[in-house]
Parts: sequence; C-alpha cells; structure tokens
Amino acid sequence: MATELIRMEHVNKFYGRVQALEDVNLVVNESEIVGLLGDNGAGKSTLIKVLSGAVPSSSGKISVRGKEVTIRSTTDAIAQGIETIYQDSALVTQLSIARNLFLGREPVKGPKFFNRLDQEKMNEVARELLARVGISKNIPPNTPIGSLSGGERQAVAIARAMHFDSDLIILDEPTNNLGVAETQGVLRFVRNARDSGHSCIFIAHNIHHVFQVVDRIVVMRRGRIVADDINPKTTSVEEVERVITGEELVVARG
Amino acid sequence: MENRTFLQRFISKPEFGPLVLLVAELAVFWSINHDFLSVLNISNTLSFTVELGLIALGMTMLMTSGEFDLSVGSVFGFAPVIMWTFFNAGWASLEISFLIAMVLSAFIGWANGWFVTRVKISSFLVTLGMLLVVRGVGLYITDGFPQRTWSAGGHWLASALVGDFYIGSFRVYASLFWFVGIAIILGYVLTGTKVGNWIQAAGGNANSARARGVNVNRTKVALFMLTAVLSGFSGIISSIRTSSANPNSGTGYELEVIAMVVIGGTALTGGRGTIIGTVLGVFILRVMRNGIVLIGVPGLAYNIFIGAIILGMMTLHSVLERRHQAGT
Repeated sequence: MATELIRMEHVNKFYGRVQALEDVNLVVNESEIVGLLGDNGAGKSTLIKVLSGAVPSSSGKISVRGKEVTIRSTTDAIAQGIETIYQDSALVTQLSIARNLFLGREPVKGPKFFNRLDQEKMNEVARELLARVGISKNIPPNTPIGSLSGGERQAVAIARAMHFDSDLIILDEPTNNLGVAETQGVLRFVRNARDSGHSCIFIAHNIHHVFQVVDRIVVMRRGRIVADDINPKTTSVEEVERVITGEELVVARG
Repeated sequence: MENRTFLQRFISKPEFGPLVLLVAELAVFWSINHDFLSVLNISNTLSFTVELGLIALGMTMLMTSGEFDLSVGSVFGFAPVIMWTFFNAGWASLEISFLIAMVLSAFIGWANGWFVTRVKISSFLVTLGMLLVVRGVGLYITDGFPQRTWSAGGHWLASALVGDFYIGSFRVYASLFWFVGIAIILGYVLTGTKVGNWIQAAGGNANSARARGVNVNRTKVALFMLTAVLSGFSGIISSIRTSSANPNSGTGYELEVIAMVVIGGTALTGGRGTIIGTVLGVFILRVMRNGIVLIGVPGLAYNIFIGAIILGMMTLHSVLERRHQAGT
C-alpha cells in the first residue's frame, strides 16, 4: 500500500452564492501521478487554487503526510512542499533564468554581511536543470525570461519545482501552447518526477497527454469528483470522455 | 549569444545610450567654449551634481522596485530646516540636530511606504500628498524664512559633509566622496546581492516574488526610507554649502531626479534599474544645465533641452527594447 501524501476531505468552496467545489475528497499518494480531468467550469482550477493557496477554501480539511495543515497563501503551500506551475507561469520576465530559479532562495557566498549572490553556482545549476527539462538549445542562464518562448518559460518553472524538491508538483495545463518537442519534454519530466519520488497532479484538456503519463485519473463535473480511480491502462479514452461529459448518466436513465 | 564580442556586449548594455549622449554633450560644449572643461567649471559642476545625484541614487533603487517618490524635493528642503532650527534655537548640539533630521526623514519615508504597501494607494498619490504635507510643515515652522547655517563653520560634521580641499588647483568637496561611496554600495546591492534580486523581482512581478517568499512590502518600505534619508542628507549638504536652509529649496527636484533616473535607463514601471546609468543620467542633465549657460544659450531655455533629451532617450530605449524582443 502506497503512503499517503495529500488528503483533502469535505472541501467546499463558494464564490458568493455559487458553489465551485462541493464536498471534494481527494487523496494523492507518494510517487503517484494523478490526472485531473473535467470540462470547462467543472472545478479543476478551483480545486488547484485551493490546494496551492491561491484562494482559501470555504470549509474542509487538508492534510499533508497525515498532518492537518492550513494553506492560506502560496507561500504556505510552498512551505508544505506543494508547488504549482500555472499556464502563465509565475516568473519575473525582467529577471534572468538563473535569478528566477533561485528567487527567494538565492545562494549566498562570502561573509553573510555582504549578502553576495553566488552567481557562478546559480548559473551552473541553471544550465544543468535546463538540460534536464529538455531544453536542448544552448540558452545562457543569464537570458531574461522575457525573451523566451512559452514552452521555454514553462520549462524554467518546472526546473524550479524540480530543483527545490517539492513533494507535490501541480501542473495546470502545462502542455498548452507548446510545440511537439516541448510537450515531450514536459511529459518526460513528469515521468522522471515520479521515478525520483515526487507526486504530480496533472491537468490537461488533451486527454491523450494525460493517458501517456498518469497512474490514475480523477474526473470532476460541476464541482464534484465523480470518479477517482480510473486506471488509464484498462480504460479507453472514449469511456473517460463519457464520464467527463456525463453521458453515461443519460444512458443509465434512458 | 555567449560568443559575442566584447564590443557587441558593450553596445547592448542599457547604459550605452546614456554614455554616448554624455560624451557627445561634453564634446559639443567643449568645442563651442573651451572654458567648459576648465578646472574651475568642472569642480563647480561636480559640487552641484552630487546633491541631486544622491537623491537620484535612492530613487533608482525605489523605481526598480516599482514605486517612485515625489516628496524628495520637500524632504530636501525640510531636513535642513529641522536641523538648523534645533541647532540655532540652542535645543540640541549639531550632531543631535543632524540625527533628529535624519530620523524624521526616515520616518517620512516609512510613512510613504506604509501608505503604499498597507493602505494600497498608488505611490503617485501618496507621495504627492506627502510632498505638500512636508513642504507645508517646513514653511510653517520657519514662517517661510531661511535658517542661517554659517555658524557651522569649522565644525567637524560640516567638514565631513562638505569640507573642501585642493588637489593642485582642483577644488574637491567631501560631498563628492559621499556620492561616489554611496553609488558604489548601491550599485553592488542592486546587481550583486540577494536583496538586489528581491528589489528587481518586486518591481518586475510582485505577485510571483511574493509567491517565492520574498517580503515585497518590507523591501519597498525600506527603499522609501532609503530615498527619504538620502534626500534629507543631500538637503543638509546643500544647506551647509550655500550657508542657508531655505524651506523652499528643492522645489521641483522630484521631476528632475526622476528624469535623471529614466534617462539613465531605469524603467519607470519597475523591474529594471541601473546605478551606473543613473550616474550618467545625473551628469547628462547637470552638464546640460551648466553647458547651456556657458555657450550663451539663455538659461531659461534649459527646460526645452531637458524635455528633448527625455523624449529622445525614451524613444531610443523603446526602440532598443523592441529590437531586443524581436530577437536581434
């Protein structure tokens, strides 16, 4: 039996009178990749925002490794080892790749008083990481983020999550707007992450990408989790699509 | 990109434009009037330059973090008024009066920062209000009359701030060393330290900086305080040099300082700043002011040139930026 990493229990989220999440229960185990699927407005993004600290939940409990935690901000979430990579990844476009990677946790060398950045180390680690996430082009680590493509930015955000050993990496539509090679890079990263003991929640519209990498599929519809143990190895894409749209209900009633 | 020659890298630096402009300016003024590069003129220009320059250094740091301060000119007038009022009335020694003025300047900066980060009012409005409040207090305390400062003559503090000595026939003010020293320290802080990375991130994308655990608010408040303290410090230097603390001095400095900073290549919107550029920007404007008079253009025409330089430099920065984005 796998060890449990994250457990969300009876989580509800209201935006005014609109209920975006309704009694959501979700467990993510260690070294497990969970694909989160659902149509637009199904509540995937809200669920992720609650878990990553972007918005507070209205009620419910979140536990990390069996211990109940309060996540009020993204800083709290990062402190609990939960790292989220959004579509427009949270990078500072004016700063260089290396400076973004280490933002907030910059290595310092020399006497503490001088507060001196260890730029050689930052550049070296950055170069190594960029190669690992599959950027084959030789991009110098002092290139500002502003002059990178969407996929390259995504890769930098992923590299950052990898380097700081987050337990759970949440990827929200990481393959959107990416080229074929870049998409392969992201998918390869997700597999590597599992091999090195990280867990992932993978959200994507493209079901085929999800099927390629995840261990388990969770489907949401209208703020509820309607299926949470679909095995991608024994289930077909069409069956999952029916769960997402809710067609099987119509069939059952008819 | 790493294989580019030294020259190419040098040209692509944001400080390159201002450097060319400064050199061109010097060449033009010198060719029209050779007195322009005379020892006396250089030494005079330097002594003025330093006072606005100190404010500009603080403003560069603040603008890199995405805020700016319109109250610097008022603090420039206010701090010396406080210092000399305390001293002339016999309430405190010169050292204590100086400290009181510095602490009050820091407090003004802290208040600016508090309104901007806690109450979340834009720095334009906060510091516009503070400009009026501080100027008003200065005028009220003094009834609008200048405070005399000549009694400071020979005091060690006065010598440390603006004492002068000659290297050959070249007159050097101590204030120049303050400017150079502070410029080097701030330049290092901005580009070489952890704090510098936070300042740039705070101006570039405050939310993502916050998400990485950077204390954006504290960084900004500290920079507001730094800017106000440097403005007060520079005001005190000026009051000793000119032998009077006028509650009206420093009027209009805020815009000239911001002009110096943006001409040097610091972004008005934050995220990118350069101390070297600001030092160049400071010289570009001060040399222009001095040179125009020397070559016989009426001093009243000064603003025309300043305005034209700002527009020209901004156009250049914008064009370079776009070319850079396009990948050339």
